[in-house]
Amino acid sequence: MKQKHILKYFISCCFILSTCIIFGQKKGRAPKEKKTDPIAKTSTIETDSIIVYEKNYGLRIGIDLVKPVLTAVKENYKGIEIVADYRLKKNLYIAAEIGVAEQDTRRDTYAFTASGSYISAGINRNLFKNWLEMDNEVYVGARYGFSVFDQTVDEYFIFQEGTSIDGISGSYFEPKTNTNPKTYENLTAHWMGLVFGLKVEIFKNLYLGGHIQFNFMLAQTQPDNFQNLYVPGFNKVYSSGTGMSYGYTISYRVPLYKK
Amino acid sequence: MKKTLILFTVLLYLLTSCEDDDFCNDPTTPRLIIVFYDTDNPTEKKEIPIYVWADNKDSIYQLTSTDSILIPLDTGNTFTKYRLATENVVDTLDLTYTTSDLFVSESCGYIAQFNDFEVDKSTYNWIDYIEVNVTKIEDETETHIKIFH
Repeated sequence: MKQKHILKYFISCCFILSTCIIFGQKKGRAPKEKKTDPIAKTSTIETDSIIVYEKNYGLRIGIDLVKPVLTAVKENYKGIEIVADYRLKKNLYIAAEIGVAEQDTRRDTYAFTASGSYISAGINRNLFKNWLEMDNEVYVGARYGFSVFDQTVDEYFIFQEGTSIDGISGSYFEPKTNTNPKTYENLTAHWMGLVFGLKVEIFKNLYLGGHIQFNFMLAQTQPDNFQNLYVPGFNKVYSSGTGMSYGYTISYRVPLYKK
Repeated sequence: MKKTLILFTVLLYLLTSCEDDDFCNDPTTPRLIIVFYDTDNPTEKKEIPIYVWADNKDSIYQLTSTDSILIPLDTGNTFTKYRLATENVVDTLDLTYTTSDLFVSESCGYIAQFNDFEVDKSTYNWIDYIEVNVTKIEDETETHIKIFH
């Protein structure tokens, strides 16, 4: 019985509501063209296309989100990086990063720690064509990077190829071990970087970004009887003098003017 | 945009493909090379069935007939005592040296090289005489010791 009443209620509601007129579109712009003559029509198009969405110019400052997370999660890493860029032209930015990093690495026969600070600077060029007032970026960039750092060989033992006895290979003598840490101070490295990245404006002037950077070592001071296997800012140095890094950033643009 | 994507892919491929090999492929801590020569004909190598072991260790060569042996030196000490035996006749070879540690590469780490190398003491039961060719052992490319018998 109750069901019938509910049905009645719905039907009467629909009946009442049907008297209300609903406009799906904000304004009835629809077929205006019919009324206007051809000359007027072209003139309206012209005024429409002249509308320029101005872009915000200013200093954008942010922080890398990966490094604090890695610092919290990984025992062998500490690091922080501040990023900044400044818009020169609509699609051209000067950009810089500054950071500190400490990385402990343990290999089979030795362990070392690299720690220091770095700065890199260069340009980003936006390749993304924004719609309307959107201000997102898909960019390529170039960087020059510089780092001053210390390398500490925490410990090592001598690598000696195994001696085969009855077909079983093992170390014949206990290898020499050295547990006295040795620190090489004030080493430097210079490199070039190529950046590919994205930046998306999630709120007004607030950006989320992601990038990947390829590094190429230009010059470095190598420690005596060791090797720079990790350089702050450059990351792991591969034998060919290349490296790779990535990051996610959150940054805020302090708006200075519009253009 | 398209060009950038291509460049990006090529770079990613290049850089990820040059990941360093984790296996050590460089020459590491050199072993001692001893070559056996004929006393009567000192330019000719002469094979010998030989047992080789260091004090309190297993035999590296067990009655192997050979004209040369490759044996490790103790990097944790500045001396190694080897025993060379053939047909139940034992001779001892006391070797002394200093070590210097050398960083070779990421995958190999540190190796040792031996300086001031000399045969400190030796017995002459089956061995007639010994000739030490080097004072430094840095690699395994040359004969370090000649033993005549």
